Amino acid sequence: MVQLAGKIGRWAFLLLVLLYFAIPMIAVLFYSFSGRWTSNVLPDIWTTSHWGEAFADERLRAAFVRTVLMAFAVLILDVLIVVPAVYWQRVRNPRIRILAELSAAIPFVLPFIIIAFGILKFTGRIAPEMLGTPWIILFGHAAIAFPFLYWAVDGAMSAAHVVRLNEAAMTCGASPFQILRHVVIPNITAGLAAGGMLVFATSFGEFALVQILAGARFENVSLYSLDLLNNTTSQVEKLAVLTIVMFLVLFAISIGVVYVNRNRVSLAVPGGRAMAAEKDL
Amino acid sequence: MSSVVLSHISKHYGAVKALDDVSLSIADGELVALLGPSGCGKTTLLRSIAGLEKPDGGVVQIGGTDMTHVPARKRPIGMVFQSYVLFPNMTIRDNVGFPLKMRGDSKQAIRARADELLELMGLAQQGDRYPNQVSGGQQQRAALARALAANPSVLLLDEPLSALDALVRTRLRDEIRRIQQLVKITAVYVTHDQGEAMAIADRVAVMNAGKIEQLAAPAQIYDDPSTRFAAGFVGNRNILELRADGGMARLGKAFAVQAPAGSSTVAAFFRPEDVVVSMTGEDQQAMVENKMFQGLLTRLYLVVEADGTTTRIYADLPSRQAEQFTQGSTVNVRVAAADVRVFPAD
Amino acid sequence: MASEGATLQSTTGTPTPTGQSRSVMDRIGGGLAAWLPALPLLILSLLFLVLPTIELVVHSFNSNPTNLRFWTAEFWQGWTLEYWIDTLQSKGSVRAVVTSVRLGVICALISLVIGGPLAWIVSRMFTGKRSVWLSLLNVSANFGGIGLAFAYMATLGTFGMLTLIIQNTGLNFVPPEIGSFTSLVMAYEYTNVPLFVLLTLPAMAIVRGEWLEAAETCSANRWQFWRYIGLPVLSPFLAAGCLLIFTWTIGIYGLAYALGRTASTTGELRMITLQIGLTLNTGAGKEERAYVLAVILLIMACASLLAYRWMLRRALRWFN
Repeated sequence: MVQLAGKIGRWAFLLLVLLYFAIPMIAVLFYSFSGRWTSNVLPDIWTTSHWGEAFADERLRAAFVRTVLMAFAVLILDVLIVVPAVYWQRVRNPRIRILAELSAAIPFVLPFIIIAFGILKFTGRIAPEMLGTPWIILFGHAAIAFPFLYWAVDGAMSAAHVVRLNEAAMTCGASPFQILRHVVIPNITAGLAAGGMLVFATSFGEFALVQILAGARFENVSLYSLDLLNNTTSQVEKLAVLTIVMFLVLFAISIGVVYVNRNRVSLAVPGGRAMAAEKDL
Repeated sequence: MSSVVLSHISKHYGAVKALDDVSLSIADGELVALLGPSGCGKTTLLRSIAGLEKPDGGVVQIGGTDMTHVPARKRPIGMVFQSYVLFPNMTIRDNVGFPLKMRGDSKQAIRARADELLELMGLAQQGDRYPNQVSGGQQQRAALARALAANPSVLLLDEPLSALDALVRTRLRDEIRRIQQLVKITAVYVTHDQGEAMAIADRVAVMNAGKIEQLAAPAQIYDDPSTRFAAGFVGNRNILELRADGGMARLGKAFAVQAPAGSSTVAAFFRPEDVVVSMTGEDQQAMVENKMFQGLLTRLYLVVEADGTTTRIYADLPSRQAEQFTQGSTVNVRVAAADVRVFPAD
Repeated sequence: MASEGATLQSTTGTPTPTGQSRSVMDRIGGGLAAWLPALPLLILSLLFLVLPTIELVVHSFNSNPTNLRFWTAEFWQGWTLEYWIDTLQSKGSVRAVVTSVRLGVICALISLVIGGPLAWIVSRMFTGKRSVWLSLLNVSANFGGIGLAFAYMATLGTFGMLTLIIQNTGLNFVPPEIGSFTSLVMAYEYTNVPLFVLLTLPAMAIVRGEWLEAAETCSANRWQFWRYIGLPVLSPFLAAGCLLIFTWTIGIYGLAYALGRTASTTGELRMITLQIGLTLNTGAGKEERAYVLAVILLIMACASLLAYRWMLRRALRWFN
């Protein structure tokens, strides 16, 4: 009797949670296909025309391309600066770790709006011409996103016993660059992929830095979405399409992260890595 | 008076029969070891006594009361798990006292009983520590103390030593036996280690594929296995597949035994210490292929050429006696027919 | 870690011929080699993380900040608590801090109440069913910012789908106003609950099924198991999860901006992140207050993270 009541309670709980998660997504999806939606539960008229209109929108396409290119640039920059640093801190100078971990903690603790505020004031003082350019977004995003790559690569290097690999490669006469290229990187691809995807996602969905540091001069998908949201209601369906596209990109990335982390979903969220990693100790 | 009576217990997992109509009664104060390979159903049987597993059919009685449908927490049992399973958030003393706390004993009574048990287990110094601060052996002693705390009628032990290293294992094994006899508690001990089972148990139940193959005192299990499985599983033995000719199975002139009626091939089992080796004789010739000193005993690996086939057997001899047999020399071997067990080969 | 590094240094460092001290140039070269591959990363973080943060902190305490020329006397004469006093006396700013904290606490508690049991249930599911739930949680955790704000309006706005569903059942339902405290809590929880679940799942796995069995053989019922074993073991992990949710919640900006911008300009809603954002975007409000609010947010986030680390260490004290 008690067991049955418990079972029913659990089902009801799970059902409510399911609805809570599902309804907003369904609502957005329906909006993107609605021709007219007045006061009924479902749209009055269904249409696929918004999808065509959205993709035909020059401004949206430009914003999308800008966002994707920026995310790739940030990813490349972070890989170039993080991998050598982690490698060096493991095989040569462990003191690098102290500074790097401190740096990695900053974007984890500080809200991005605060970081954006600080960069705005600091850059405004020493290099005001940088403000509003894609460069400041590139460096800003690289700075706030690098911890994901740092933790993933560090974990992967630890798992691959890079210190031992390095010693073995040195006895074969390889230079540090050769070791990195031929021995280390091939052994940390999973970590690189997971961290890289999180870096990409961070830049792709970022709003605070872009709004504060560049504004309309670098309109990415988030800024354009906000503009659509603030504008008159006629744009709502286009926003629905854009929201779904954004969401699908981020979701695909998170699935990729979970996949390369061998189904440890917790590692796809920032604090999860800390919690999961410390538990393994 | 039987303390635990299991009648016709069956348990299926899908198509797999974990327990196949098992019956067993255990006398008061007796320690029965359930011995068998993994997957033979020994742990399922133990968990059925504990109430952690619901059998599909059959009756579990403890102390004459039908317990089949009583949940685990209301059964008069104490259980020791393979991986200790102490509660990490409680001190060793609190762990030991936990069953008493659940029973609603007074704080002083819990403390007194817990200290008494810790003393008995040699853990008096460890009472205030947490499980992660003591060794594996100490954790398992504490688990034993916890299992005994509420004076249960039956003590259930599920491979209690398999997570420990070899040295601790023998010491704790002997201690479990000592304490079990001291408090005169009925106990069921699951293990896959025959040495452990032989050393600790009053009776051993050899299990295979969800059935008890043989239930007997350790010495009898060792000397006189009643099934082919029991013979193969218990003790290290020479196992030979032999053809039965005219109702007799033979290994050259080393031995000839009566084959079971109606089988053309038999499996013959004999223990290495029952092989009689001498320098000369009229029995079977064999060549000493290898010799391995093992302390008190020396093991000889022998090659027997008989009836057109080559057979390898091994013999254990007192090391003094083995000195004369050098590697590569030819010797005379014989096994008394009474020391050979034969079973139909499938 | 440290010992590993030390041995490596001795094996990889340039061997020095005995009896001959290393020249200055060698020493500089060696020092540079020890740091060079990490320099780009460290410089980036210095320029875009460390110095900007310092800039904000100094600005909030210094009235002569137009050019932080710390070698001049004006700079050193500029130290003041004036901005802090001004901000703490401003009703709007205090309300912003209070609202942010209240939002953080309430969101963390709701995440705990819904996410805790959910994490437990999910952790005990069989593989197939579990992966379905994990994907769903992962999906929701990734939904954020402006898109989520829109999804919220599409669900619980005046013409939102859920609003319409409820109204069509005949109830006279008025959804919470967009930008109200309730609407923010509901929208925030959409990502907070799944984040909380994903964060605490590894901890749920440490409560082994065997503990339940062992407790059962000790005559404990389910309630007693949770009271004496399950909750004492899990509570520090859950608390750590709450602290992280708190830290993130008080810093959320995009979603808050999209939902609360209008309410914020009218003064109905005041939150730290929104105050800062509005000051920077529209020039409304005193910039000095934005500095102080930013530093307050910074302090709260740091304190919360330190508490989180302490809590996690506490949680792990029984497991090493």
